[in-house]
Amino acid sequence: MATNAQSPRLARPEPRGIGWSLLLTLPIAVWALLMLFRPGMDTDPKSRIAAALTALFMTALFFMMMRTGNTYRWRRLFFVSVGVLFPVGFIYNIVSVRGTMGIPVEEMIAGRTPFCFMPIPLLILPAALTRKLVFPGSIGPGGGASGAGMAAMVGIWLAMTLVLGKGWCSYACFFGGIEEGVAAIPARAKIRKIDPRWRHGPWAVLLAMVLLSLALFEPAYCMWLCPFKAVSEYIAARNLIGLFQNAIFVLLFAGLVIVLPFLTKKRTQCSFFCPFGAFQSIFNKISAFEVKIDKERCKPCVLCQNACPNMSLTRESIARGETLMSCMKCGACVDACPRQAVVWHIKGTEIAWKPERARLMFLYAAWAMAIMFGGTIIYGGVATILHFIA
Amino acid sequence: MKLRPILGYTAAGATIFAAVLTPFVLMGYFANGVAALPLHVDEVYSGGPKARTIQMGAYSIDVHRPVHPHFLQSEKPFVELEWTPVSALPRHVSDMVDIDGDGQPDICVSFDVPNDPKAPLRVDVEPLNPHYQAMHSVGKEKFSRLIVRVDNAILVRVPLVNP
Repeated sequence: MATNAQSPRLARPEPRGIGWSLLLTLPIAVWALLMLFRPGMDTDPKSRIAAALTALFMTALFFMMMRTGNTYRWRRLFFVSVGVLFPVGFIYNIVSVRGTMGIPVEEMIAGRTPFCFMPIPLLILPAALTRKLVFPGSIGPGGGASGAGMAAMVGIWLAMTLVLGKGWCSYACFFGGIEEGVAAIPARAKIRKIDPRWRHGPWAVLLAMVLLSLALFEPAYCMWLCPFKAVSEYIAARNLIGLFQNAIFVLLFAGLVIVLPFLTKKRTQCSFFCPFGAFQSIFNKISAFEVKIDKERCKPCVLCQNACPNMSLTRESIARGETLMSCMKCGACVDACPRQAVVWHIKGTEIAWKPERARLMFLYAAWAMAIMFGGTIIYGGVATILHFIA
Repeated sequence: MKLRPILGYTAAGATIFAAVLTPFVLMGYFANGVAALPLHVDEVYSGGPKARTIQMGAYSIDVHRPVHPHFLQSEKPFVELEWTPVSALPRHVSDMVDIDGDGQPDICVSFDVPNDPKAPLRVDVEPLNPHYQAMHSVGKEKFSRLIVRVDNAILVRVPLVNP
């Protein structure tokens, strides 16, 4: 690996040779095949083609990360694919099962409402105080269009949170990819100055939704504020209240996921609104990996601050040599720094001590999770598209 | 090498190990752990536990325990009745139901059973006991006041008069 003559230990690797990159990619290729051709996956030819395409896609992206030393650009391709293909597979699935995108009361009473990760923080207080889950799903298998219940989703979330911390929002969330894709479209941001107080928005929404869910005994965020109801499933509008709820979903989606990301080049729903993102920030504390800033190398040019898609860097945090706890470990700031002052870091080690090793260790863990969870979503979307083409 | 870096690398290695274990062990371990917790879905959705069954010849009516909403929950207290199996029901059902098991009928429930399982249902409930509210041509208004078909059963939820 080539090194910088001034400070060998801080050097960003030159593009790796193809052989080295292939060698480093080999474990991920094996993992992708293991995950996408595991027992229980559909075995018809179209599904096999979808699995092969997904395995190839995920392996190729990891290879490019190894070859170029760049993380963000290739991760974004994966993440946007998940964001775009999730609604394709999900909507096809629920329409096949129940004939509509709306959630009928019958399905709620039968405990078959699909459970995503968003309501998890809202269920904790009611469950702790009354032992009741305020969600019309099933705890065990049998719930939702996927057949999985709440326990399965919570199990996946717990295991992945242990590995990724807040990295969930960059490598696992199946909603954030849409706004990240929209934010990537314009060459420049139309709105550049954003009041930093908006950064507290997710915490405010989280607090309000947790208290409301306890008081109203319903998953308040899902009932009233989730922008992604617009691209997954909505509340069947049986009356004026239902119409009002659906209007809120569509307006929030249009504003926070389409218009504002386009104008600001930021993930505005994640940065200013998402209560789950705020909740997930707490788990950044238990992660072994983080992004740090080498204060000796940094000439505060704020390129990293500008590149951060969810405003997790401020002048103050840069001066302290760290990101805010909302950092999603997407790698945008690391890739943007021309002085290689922003680095991947393993807690407990000296800052900028073998940052490429820290990056590799994080990426192996994160990409394994990305293939297992996001890869399966991409596979589902591709299989659906192939089904329609054929 | 100092202790902190050793601990840091150990945690980083453990993270990769956890990632490998996740689909095979960890996910199932956590999911089973959550499923084993003494939690259940709120009864406003699930309808509450079954109290007893009334045999009506070819079909039966399951009477559930009354459900009382919490805090500011926007539902009234209700009791759920379940006619099953749908295939054994006549074209028009009109049953007197003894909900509290005291030997006296509490309500008279009547509804049509269409052949099309997706056809909308309407129910009339005449209270014979002042604890229960009347319903006239009610469909799917609220969780506490409805008639729906779920799989092979027809569910009627009758609101209770507030004490």
